[in-house]
Parts: sequence; structure tokens; C-alpha cells
Amino acid sequence: MSVSITFLRPFARVLVPFTLHRKRRVLYSTTLQRYTSSKIPAVSYPNKESTSPPEELDLDRWKITMKSSVQEEDVSTVSSSKDEDPLAATRELIEMWRLLRREVPEHISEEELKTVMECVSKSSKRKYLKYLYVKEKMKKAKQIKKEIKIAAKEQVKKDQLPETTKEDKQQNFLFLRLWDRNMDIAMGWKGAQAMQFGQPLVFDMAYDDYMKPKELQNAVSQLLESEGWNRRNVDPFHIYFCSLKTGGAYYRELVKRYGEKWNKLLLTATEKSHVDLFPKDSIIYLTSDSPNIMTTFKHDKIYVVGSFVDKNMQPGTSLAKAKRLKLATECLPLDKYLQWDTGTKNLTLDQMIRILLCLKNTGSWEEALKFVPRRKHTGYLEISQHSQELFNRMKSKTFNSFPRGSVHRHRKGCLSGFPGGAVVARPPADAGEPGSRPGLGGSHMPRSGWARGPWPLGLRVRSLCSATGEATTEGGPHTTKNK
Amino acid sequence: MTFYFTGIRSFPKLWKSNPYLGLGPGHSSLSLFLKDCYGIRNQEKWFSLKTVSPQNTKAMNLLISKARYVRKKDEGSNKQVSADSPHMFAAGAAKKRSQMNPPSKEHVLPPVKNIFQLPTKPLNSEEWDKLKEDFKEKANFENWIISQMVKCHSSVDVAKSVLAWVAAKNSGIVGYDLLVKYLYLCVFHKQTSEIIDVYEIMKARYKRLESGAYTLLIRGLIHTDRWREALLLLEDIKKVMIPSKKNYSDCIQGALFHQDVNVAWNLYQELLGHDIVPMLETLKAFFDFGKDMKDDQYSNKLQDILLYLRNNHLYPGESFAHSIKTWFESVPGEQWKGQFTTVQQSGQCLGCGKTVESIHLSSEEYEFLKEKIMRDVIDGGDQYKKTTPQELKRFQNFVKYHPPFDIVIDGLNVAKMFPKARESQVLLDVVSQLAKQNLQVLVLGRKHMLKQNSRWRKDDMEKVQKQASFFFADNISEDDPFLLYATLHSGNHCKFITKDLMRDHKACLPDAKTQRLFFKWQQGHQLAIVSRHPGSKITFQHILIYDTVVQTTGDSWHIPYDDDLVERYSYEVPTKWLCLYRKT
Repeated sequence: MSVSITFLRPFARVLVPFTLHRKRRVLYSTTLQRYTSSKIPAVSYPNKESTSPPEELDLDRWKITMKSSVQEEDVSTVSSSKDEDPLAATRELIEMWRLLRREVPEHISEEELKTVMECVSKSSKRKYLKYLYVKEKMKKAKQIKKEIKIAAKEQVKKDQLPETTKEDKQQNFLFLRLWDRNMDIAMGWKGAQAMQFGQPLVFDMAYDDYMKPKELQNAVSQLLESEGWNRRNVDPFHIYFCSLKTGGAYYRELVKRYGEKWNKLLLTATEKSHVDLFPKDSIIYLTSDSPNIMTTFKHDKIYVVGSFVDKNMQPGTSLAKAKRLKLATECLPLDKYLQWDTGTKNLTLDQMIRILLCLKNTGSWEEALKFVPRRKHTGYLEISQHSQELFNRMKSKTFNSFPRGSVHRHRKGCLSGFPGGAVVARPPADAGEPGSRPGLGGSHMPRSGWARGPWPLGLRVRSLCSATGEATTEGGPHTTKNK
Repeated sequence: MTFYFTGIRSFPKLWKSNPYLGLGPGHSSLSLFLKDCYGIRNQEKWFSLKTVSPQNTKAMNLLISKARYVRKKDEGSNKQVSADSPHMFAAGAAKKRSQMNPPSKEHVLPPVKNIFQLPTKPLNSEEWDKLKEDFKEKANFENWIISQMVKCHSSVDVAKSVLAWVAAKNSGIVGYDLLVKYLYLCVFHKQTSEIIDVYEIMKARYKRLESGAYTLLIRGLIHTDRWREALLLLEDIKKVMIPSKKNYSDCIQGALFHQDVNVAWNLYQELLGHDIVPMLETLKAFFDFGKDMKDDQYSNKLQDILLYLRNNHLYPGESFAHSIKTWFESVPGEQWKGQFTTVQQSGQCLGCGKTVESIHLSSEEYEFLKEKIMRDVIDGGDQYKKTTPQELKRFQNFVKYHPPFDIVIDGLNVAKMFPKARESQVLLDVVSQLAKQNLQVLVLGRKHMLKQNSRWRKDDMEKVQKQASFFFADNISEDDPFLLYATLHSGNHCKFITKDLMRDHKACLPDAKTQRLFFKWQQGHQLAIVSRHPGSKITFQHILIYDTVVQTTGDSWHIPYDDDLVERYSYEVPTKWLCLYRKT
């Protein structure tokens, strides 16, 4: 009797797994016996043979081999040192995690191991290890890619050897060949021109105290990329790095990344603040925290972008800076044009400069906002729903006293008058044509001629080479190696 | 009986996961396992996801009918006093608010991937080979299949047949990851002999394990005769990291299970020493163990646990509250009487008639909080972030040269509370009603409110300004910090009106203690508007005057606890109380 009682208690627990196999409910009683028999160790072992399934699988043999084949490769890698040193213990922990196929690196240096040990929580340990794992993997992938590239180059060389005579013939063609060098010279020329006549774009570098070293590195990567995009643009900005303290963290990192090219860059790096360089009323600080929405790109203003990467969200920092200096602020009209989906509304520096460049050249928000990452939004709002709403609201306000029907008719007429509401969505016409900029940057040549085909460009470059002289650069590390 | 009980506990979770039930067994919460460290989360959760077998349908029906009854009662009470919606900080209030305006976007469930039919009985090697050939995805089949089994909690025998098959292919060796997952299934099904076998194998093969396997082994071994070895495993974890509260919880419960009280208390002290908040289950185990025990030292320790709950603003769940009640009533020689009850608005306990602690802060606490708000919320390292120095100065002068206010209103928040009405009209209504009661009112706003437009009429605003003091912040400044400061500055009697829960400002405060203090103050000073009918009176919600916290007077205890059927958010407090007093 007492046996049956002890059966009942585990039985209740067996129910839980059992509910899964709905189909086998019919077999209920037989399976139940099997479960209960394997349940209570004391009873089960003698009974095992009689109750186990008829097809007789030897389920436990692996245990014997596992126990007997002890002290093999696994252990040899793990138990190298017997001492109870916490470093070794951590190393072993990581090794075991690797056996579990967790995301941990294969090789780990002493220093990194110490960092792992200092992590306060398990999750921080894991995150750091994952970071190392990803880094290791990227390194490996790069190595492999490099090897493949080298191999492919060799292959091409081998294949081309017999055809060299043919090549020679082909080289003799009517047009001037556009070498990379020529392109660099052309870009250098444009850069030099922008430095004399171009519209300034300021990167405010006064944020190095707000960032961790990692964020600063990211910010510098973004700056490098921004500079690359600007250099290759048809009509580049004159880039200013303002408040860049010589010897500061930003400066050191920039010099480190650019190397000797730093001094040859066609941009202005200065310790002065942007308010010292430009009149206050012509500066517009671009920050996502700003309450003012940018409507048009103004060619006579100086836009300031804070070069600030805040991975752990420090909202209001750049707005506070602008407020302190009493500057005008603006933010991009993201909500006006895009169906925002996920993610924060602050963009990276390179996205920002591409948007600004595009805006400057085309004046079209639709074109410019293509550089907002696609993952963040689900598409453009249909002909600016926002403005339509505004429009409707204004109308309902103004014509409140009209009878219902007349308002309706009126609205209809309105809409057909402005097809698609494009009038509201587009910025005023003066922003559109790049050629007709007021005041700034007199253009020496028609812009439409630039970068069309290889032919005119090649000619122009030739004629300009002597003019730019030293200022031209030859490729160098700043041809967006960071990408 | 115990089974029925766990059923009740799991019910609210079943309720929550209802929409998933159609997906077939074991789909929704299953990613739990792979992500986490194989620690067994509370089993009730999984249990609730299963389709119900004949045995527990009966219990389920009972539960459902119970729940229906409860809900009906809820609805009924709502209808009776429709104005008496739950208090802003009452448990479940936020949930209710969110249900009032449901999200427009339908929650889209991820599409169900092709479901692989897991074998239900052990297969031999040939059958496994065949299954592997049929398997088309990229992943490693052995790993994948055992993960699937873990997800669906297949029987141990089936998993064992996988291991046997792998071992046969691989000269008798099974990888560590397969072993851990197998161990997980053993622990889940409480197969003691298997757990010990795996433990022996692991001990023999590997010098040291990782946290996941340790956690599983501790949980598996603790209820066996070899439970002391689980404590050794805990020591092993300590060499590389601080064990989790689950590890400690398992060990403590095991020690109590095996009647070793000292080990349990030592572990508990160690846990507190690491600044880990213990699981409520751990604390409950101590109370369960102490039943019918005449041991003054032990009961002192239990009272310390209750004080720990008080100091950390923790609230026991329903079953824990039952355990506390049972323990008190079982203490021999002391005639404790306990009952589940509620506390009236006046702060009077309906059970014993005593008044619970007042929510008002002492003057030191008050000053402390005021200074913290100034330093951490308004200033926060850079005054330009939320305001400007000039504006701050202007505000401080403004507060200094005005008489203390009785009510501070967040102008914009109140004005936008009723979207159909004109904003300035709402504000005027609220202000004039308060001014009629001869209250000194301060309205905080932003400068753009003064601009004439259809939502903000100038004549309304002029009337408001006649009846109340006004402070307008810049349009790009935050007004909430000013609201907090003005209220605190005016003294204890001053209240503020806004719908904002002030969580972002609470988060600016540096430590948990200050945040709790702030929350206590907020509960006692925040007025909420319940309803407004055009032309008629605006009704305000009553302000809590008692503090919802575990408390004692020596011969009585009042313990607020969480109802299992109500989902309480972190910024809410329970509404149910356990009242305990000594019969004299």
C-alpha cells in the first residue's frame, strides 16, 4: 500500500511532459508504467528489462564509454594548471562556454582575460566575450578575403601574360585615359575651390569629454567617411573642425587615423569655436533635439553638426550647447517626409553630410532623405501627409462659419488646384538650382559639365593641374579606406 | 492538493499567453531556453502553455470558473461606482489605462515555421540516420534535434537515444553541449538517477564546468541524498563569478528540505552580502520551514526578513502571504490572528481597525528630497540641458517672493488632458474651481501658451492669470522639474496636478533609496483629475494618505501583498493587505 502512495507523487509531475503527446493518449496506461518505472531509481533498475520497449535499445552504453574514456583531449586542454588561480578558472569557464557553442573567442589575451574577470555580472562578461568573438571573426574573415584577392590577382596576371600584345593595341585609343590620379587631382581641385569659395560646414568637436574612448573612435570613423563623401561630391562643403584642441583626444585619434595625410587635408581644423569664426546670427546648429523643423536648405547659413556619438543616449547635450551659445537650432524634417518605424532619430555623421550635400545640390528632401537608413522607416509619407493635415486643419478653422457642403466643395477645388500638394512639400524654388546661389561661391564653370563623362573631365584636369599645384593629393589614406 | 495549488498560480500567466495557444504546443515561450542559461524558470509558466490533458482539465475548469467569477465581481464593482476608477498608483491601474485606448497596430504574430514532428519514443541508430538524411537545414542536426527536444520537453528516453546514437557514431563520446541539454531534460523531468549519472560523467570528464551546467546540477542534486555536493558546486561557481539568486535559492531550499537550518541561514546572509535581492520563493521557504516551531531566534530572523521587505519596498505574492499568515498563526504560545483585507481611504485597516502608517515625510526627509531634486533633476550637471541659468534664477526668485502655494498645476499637461475640449478652456475650468476654494494656485507653462490661436484663447488665459500665479518657462525648457521644485518648496500641504508619472525624473535620482523616497512623496502629493463635464465640477482623485509598505507595531503586522490575478507595474503599489494581530 505504501508503495502505491509513493507512486502517486511523481505521477503528478509526469503529467506535465506527458500532455505533449496528445496523439498517444490511447497508450496512456502502458507509457505511464514505463515512466513510473524509470522514475524511482530503487525500483526501476531490476524492472528495467521487463518494462522497457520491446525493440530493446541499449540506451545506457554511452555512459560507460563516457566514463571509461575519461581524461582525453578535452581535459588535456583544460586542466593544464592545477593551481586555484582565478585567471585560470576564468579561462576554463570560457573554454567550457566555447564547448557549449557560445559566442566566445578562441584566443584570448591575458589583458582581455583580466577585463573579463573584472566584469561585474555574468551578462557583462558574456557581452564582452561576444564583442571579442565578433572581432576575432571579422579578423579571420578579412584574412581569408585578402588571401582570395591575392590568389585572384595572381590568376589574372597569369592569364593575361600571353595577351599583353593585344592590350597594347587597345590602349591606343582616341580619348584621354582617366587615371585614378587624375580623379584625385580633380577632387583636390574641387576641395581647394571649396576652401576658397564653398559654403562652410562646421563639425563641432567639443564633445570629447562626453564620449567613451570607443564612442570617440566611432565618431572619428564617421568623420573620416564624411570627409570622403564630401571630397567626392560635385560641389563639396568647406569643412571646419571647430574647437579641436591640439593634443586632445579627438586630435590624437584623427592624426592617428589619417597619418601623414592629416596635414594635407583640404579642410580647416581649428581650436577656435564656431562662434568665433562666424557671426552668431548666421549659424544654425543641427540637432535632433531641436524643436524647430528645418524647411529649406539655406545657402547663406553656416550649419553646425555636433560630432558626437552617444551610444547610451545622452539626449539634450547638443541642444544644451546651442542654448548656451544662444544659437538657432534646427532638426531634419524626418517625421514630415518619412513613415518612421524604429530607431532613434539621430543619424550618423556620414549620413548627415550626405543628406546635406544632396540637399545643397538638388534641394529635394525626397532625394536627400534617401540616406536615412532604410531599416529605420517604412517609406515616404504620401505627398507629405503632415502638410496635408496642417492644410486641412487650417481650412476647417478658417471656414468654420460656412455651411458644410460649401466647405467640401471648396476643399475639392483646392486639391485640384495644387496637384498632389507638391507646392507645400517642396522647398521654395531658390533652393533648387545649384547654380543660382546668392552671394557665396561664384562658380568658375558650369556645374553641369562636371563629372559627366571621362572626356571633358580629363581635359579640364589637365588644364587645372598647374593651377592647384601643391594642394592636390594623390589618393592617400583618406580615400575612404575606413569603409 | 499541491498540484491544484500550482494550477492557480499559473493561471494569470495562462491568461496572458492565451493568443499563443493556437500555435500548438511549445512554440511561444520556447526561445527562453536557448537564450538563457538553462536555468529552469518557474515551471508554472511552461505548464500553462501546454494543452490540457484529461486529468487537469477538471482543475482548469474550476480555475476558469473562479476567474470568471472574479472578473464579474470586478465589473460589477466598476459599474456601481464608475467614478471610482483605480487610484493612479494602485496595482493594475496602468494596465487598465492602456486597455482603454488600445493600440492601433495589431500585434502580428511571427509566422509559424514548419513544425518538425519530434519522435515520441526512443529510436535506434538507423532511424536516426534516416531522420538526419531528411533534415535539410544548415544547422548541425544533432544539436538542432536536441534543442527542439528541450523546447518541447521530450521524454528523457528519446533524448537518451539521441545521445546513444551520437556516441555510437563517435566512438562512445558525447559532446559537452549535448550533455548539458540532456541534463536539462533530466532536471526538468526530475529523473534523479539520470542526473547523478550525468553528474558523474561530467565530474570525470571535465575539471570545471560553466555556469549553465552548474545551475542545472545544483537544481538536480539538491533534492537527492548527495545535496551537499551541490554546495560544493556553488563554491565552484564562486571562483569565477557571483552565483545568481537562483543558485542561492536552490541551495537554500535544498538545505531547508534536508533540515539543515544553519547552512540555509548562512547562505542567505551570503546572498544579502552580495547585494543580490533574494527571490521571494527563497523567503517563502524560510516561512514554510518555520511552521509550528518554537524557536525565538528563528522567529526573530523571520521578522528580520519582513523588515527587509519593508526597507526595500518589496511585496510578497499571494502564496507567500499565505505562508506568512500560516507561520504567524502557528507560532505556539502566541495567539496571532491573520486575515486578508484592504485598507480604507482614511488609512484604517478593515481587519483590525487600526490606522496604517502615514505617507507624509519627516522634515529631514523633505529637505533631503528637495535638495536632491534641485541638484540631480533640475541641474543634473548641465543647467542648459533642461533650462538655462537665467531662467533658473528667474524661477528661484519667483518662488521665493511668492506666498507658498497650495496647488501647483502642470498647465500643458492639464490642458491637453481632454482632447476634445479647447485647451485654454480646460485650464480655466480647473483653475477657477480651485480658486473658488481659496487655494493659492500656481500654473506652470511654456511661453507659447500666451500666443493667441484656436487652442489657446487670449481671453481665457487672461482670466486664468487673474486667478492664479503663473510661471512660463521657455519653449525649449522642461517644465516638470520646476513643478516638482515649486511643490516641494511650498511645503508639505502643497499638491501638484499632472497626469505624468514622473518616471524620467525619478530615474535622474542617484540611488534606490532616494527614488523610493521620491515615490513615497509623489504618492502623497500628486492629484489626478478623474473626470470633467463641461460646465460642471471637475472631480479629483483622492490622495493616498497612508504608506503602502510592510509595517509593524510590535503586536500587529500589516503586509501589502500582490494579488496573483493583477499585473502590478513597478511604479504601482498593491491594494491588498494581510493584517496580523495578536489576540489579547
